[in-house]
Amino acid sequence: MDNMQPIPNQSETTPFPEGEALKNQIQWRHRQGLAWRLLFIAALLIAISSLIALLYNILNDSFGYVVVINKVDPQRLALDVVEEQILNTANTVSSEDDFELANGIANDSNGIGFFGIAYYQENNETLKLLAVDGVMPNAETAASGEYPFTRPLYLYTADAVLQNNQAANIFLNYLLNNVNSEIETVGYFPATSAAYAAAQQRWLSANPGLGLQSGQWVSIEPDGMAGTIRVVGSSTVFPLTQHMLEQYQEAGFAGNFGNESVGSSAGLAAFCSGQADFAASSRPIQSGEIEACRNNGRFPLEFQIGTDALAIVVNNQNSALNEVSTEQLQQIFTTATTWNEVNEAWPAQAIQRYIPGADSGTLDFFAEAVYQTSLASLPKDDLVRLLATNISTGRGRALEREQRFYESALVFEDPATWNEVCAAPAGERPSGCIAEPRTQEEVYDLLLAEVIQPDVVKVYNLQNSLLNRTAIATEAAALYPNGEITFRSWLSADFITDPQSSTPEFAGVRTAIFGSLWVIFITILFSFPIGVGAAIYLEEYAADNRLNRILQTNINNLAGVPSIIYGMLGLAIFVRVLEQLTSGAIFGAVESTASANGRTIISAGLTLGLLILPLIIINAQEALRAVPNSLRQAGLALGATQWQTIWYHVLPSALPGILTGTILAVSRAIGETAPLVVVGASTFITVDPSGPFSKFTTLPIQIYQWTSRPQAEFRNIAAAAIIVLLAMLLSLNASAIILRNRYSTRSI
Amino acid sequence: MKPNTSFSNGSVAVEAKEMQVYYGSFRAVKDIALKIPTKHITALIGPSGCGKSTVLRSFNRMNDLVASARVEGQILYHGSNIYDTHVDPVEIRRRIGMVFQKPNPFSKTIYENVAWGARINGFKGNMDQLVEESLRQAALWDEVKDKLSQSGYSLSGGQQQRLCIARTIAVKPEIILMDEPTSALDPVATLRIEELIQELKKQYTIIIVTHNMQQAARASDYTAFFNMDGDRAGYLVEFDNTNELFTNPKNELTEQYITGRFG
Repeated sequence: MDNMQPIPNQSETTPFPEGEALKNQIQWRHRQGLAWRLLFIAALLIAISSLIALLYNILNDSFGYVVVINKVDPQRLALDVVEEQILNTANTVSSEDDFELANGIANDSNGIGFFGIAYYQENNETLKLLAVDGVMPNAETAASGEYPFTRPLYLYTADAVLQNNQAANIFLNYLLNNVNSEIETVGYFPATSAAYAAAQQRWLSANPGLGLQSGQWVSIEPDGMAGTIRVVGSSTVFPLTQHMLEQYQEAGFAGNFGNESVGSSAGLAAFCSGQADFAASSRPIQSGEIEACRNNGRFPLEFQIGTDALAIVVNNQNSALNEVSTEQLQQIFTTATTWNEVNEAWPAQAIQRYIPGADSGTLDFFAEAVYQTSLASLPKDDLVRLLATNISTGRGRALEREQRFYESALVFEDPATWNEVCAAPAGERPSGCIAEPRTQEEVYDLLLAEVIQPDVVKVYNLQNSLLNRTAIATEAAALYPNGEITFRSWLSADFITDPQSSTPEFAGVRTAIFGSLWVIFITILFSFPIGVGAAIYLEEYAADNRLNRILQTNINNLAGVPSIIYGMLGLAIFVRVLEQLTSGAIFGAVESTASANGRTIISAGLTLGLLILPLIIINAQEALRAVPNSLRQAGLALGATQWQTIWYHVLPSALPGILTGTILAVSRAIGETAPLVVVGASTFITVDPSGPFSKFTTLPIQIYQWTSRPQAEFRNIAAAAIIVLLAMLLSLNASAIILRNRYSTRSI
Repeated sequence: MKPNTSFSNGSVAVEAKEMQVYYGSFRAVKDIALKIPTKHITALIGPSGCGKSTVLRSFNRMNDLVASARVEGQILYHGSNIYDTHVDPVEIRRRIGMVFQKPNPFSKTIYENVAWGARINGFKGNMDQLVEESLRQAALWDEVKDKLSQSGYSLSGGQQQRLCIARTIAVKPEIILMDEPTSALDPVATLRIEELIQELKKQYTIIIVTHNMQQAARASDYTAFFNMDGDRAGYLVEFDNTNELFTNPKNELTEQYITGRFG
């Protein structure tokens, strides 16, 4: 070294650095170590972050908000059932004209009915208003919401109407200006100030030409305005719109108007098909109606113009009734026939009911508010009836043949045909002939899939769902006004227990889970004993000669062969050559002769078994090699044979190691996709495998297949299936490890 | 000089005649002629690599485990050569047991450690009694009688070695081979094993390989001294009554070795 320092306090030179040089040299060695250490930490960080990224990706797709559009609103179906019950009760008069109802009750001392409170105000000499749950309907209880049957009254129109019909546009402006001062004279109550402001804002947005900012307002004089205005709809809202239209005319409107009281549903239908400028409604518009409007190019705009407190009224002569409870109302309008059945203090006379008709929003509101039914809680009979009215008979027959609805009655199928079909031999009989009838829950699921048909139209990932909740809500409301936004866990109990389906909303992984378990079972059954046996031979018995060395090298090389090649091998040997065996034909276990081929669970299991055989052999050899020789000598020295020594001492000692190796190998087999694709796993199968000769699919195949679908929702269920696969893998491993630990502690 | 291979009184338990042991082409020991006296302790001593362990292992065919090992000559046991083709090494090992350098109990309970050898050899008597008797003979019973169902590995090193002796006794061998049985133990445990061996010689013939000359001197009745030739093959230098060999060695090499001048 040319720059070597003289060593201080050292009389003779040594071949080692001393003093400052020593310090530097040691520091340099430490720095070298530090560099390596940093490199290792970086490697660890990369590993951890890729693991986190993996989990993040899976979880991100497995949960999140979705926008669901139901073909039919489930609440609507439930209300249909209740309304049907109400309408079909004896002694019930129904009419879309509320005047008729008011007159009916006025002339019938046992009459009871309900309608908008305006109709009561008009007939308050002959009618008597009842308190509900102790609250009388009036301006205060309606405004505070204390009265249980408080509801908003709406006027619906569309941008197209407001732009093309100036008379209608100015009428709406006039109405919004004056409704609050006029509404009390009709008998209703003003809308909340928020709803009122929202209605004004909506009108302003529809008239951008005025150049007004939000919060500003303008009242336009209708002086000399000509044209035609047509309002159709709710009989409840009718007096209000009629009054406002008359006022509008008085204020100078020179054109004509038509106002019809046909019920909310009929009104909305007429409006959506373009027959009216406004729809008056005593209930909010439903998703199906929005859909119908949009299909006609009308995007409905909602204006709340007042509040009603639904009046429950009886004849003025009825001295017994002053108030009712919600429960009593339920009985009065359906199950009870005389008053004293509801309340002993009431007269023993038949109840006469006067109610709005099926098209009326008032009946919808009453049914919803009083009966509070949800579809899922309806009895099976009602659900079956709903199904029967909403699907075709042909589809119904198919469903009934799959699984019947009642033990002793047929819903869709003709009894004669049914008996004929079920007389067929066991293999050709439809499953419905012997299967247990469907439960209420199953009928509900059927209704969901066949009638309601929820369609996920938009999915949001978990990150967005958690961080941008409000943005998602506004976007969804704008894009899908008739959609329902809910938080959906794609991984759910139904997802695990449902079979495969072509609609992602109803698809599950049950078939794939069973397929995976069966295949792995066959794989273990095949490869574990053979692998361990081969390892014992090679380690304990085989002499160290050329042949055995060649065998060993081959096994080591086989462990590195790409799995697709094993798939080719499996296809050639198990599927093709051994077809008679693997299809179960020679065992007579073929499920249907037409599709009998070797693409079965047993072929897949054997292929995966071959794939992991070298891994198991190598791992088991490693474990056997780790058993100390002294143990073998101890056994032999006692006069044990070689096999006794291996069986009682060597194998138990090596077993934890063998099992660890096997677990790793089996884990690999569970996740394999490529060889199974080649061997011929079914990509779409809804029947659970029933044995080793069944057609099958496995979780990785299912995931692979879903990820290649174009619809976004398949990505979500693929992510959920990955979680299922990981969970299955971890729990199989955990149980193997527990088994191993138990075994190794017990053998002590 | 031809080594002395005879002893004055008693009968021969096992005898090596013209024995050569090869590992592959390497001759590890040569021309061994040795008679082991019945119910006495015979110590095999000599420098490292002189083949005394190889000789010991030849007596119960443990060398068979080494794939390349080959024994020539004869080892006579009850008049027949144990290397004859019709002789099953399993039977030889049942009659000639072995205790190893490092304690190697099975990873089973103490009870099973003792009972296993007897069971696989078809023992038909009272197993509990056999286990107790064997453990008593191995001077271990009092220490383990309350924990027979614990692992053999829960014992200390000295106890483990006595357990291995008990296990060997349980199959009722005639001869017990001991390959440096105390080399992994501390002095106290070593002493206990030596005392135990003195007790055991009343019933068994014992051959012990040891590196420790004091041990050979104080614990054995006969001593065989081995040495290594220029070709690294071990050979028997001298065999005699232990007292005689240590006090009055006939061979110069023996004297040099026991006085610590080489080895």
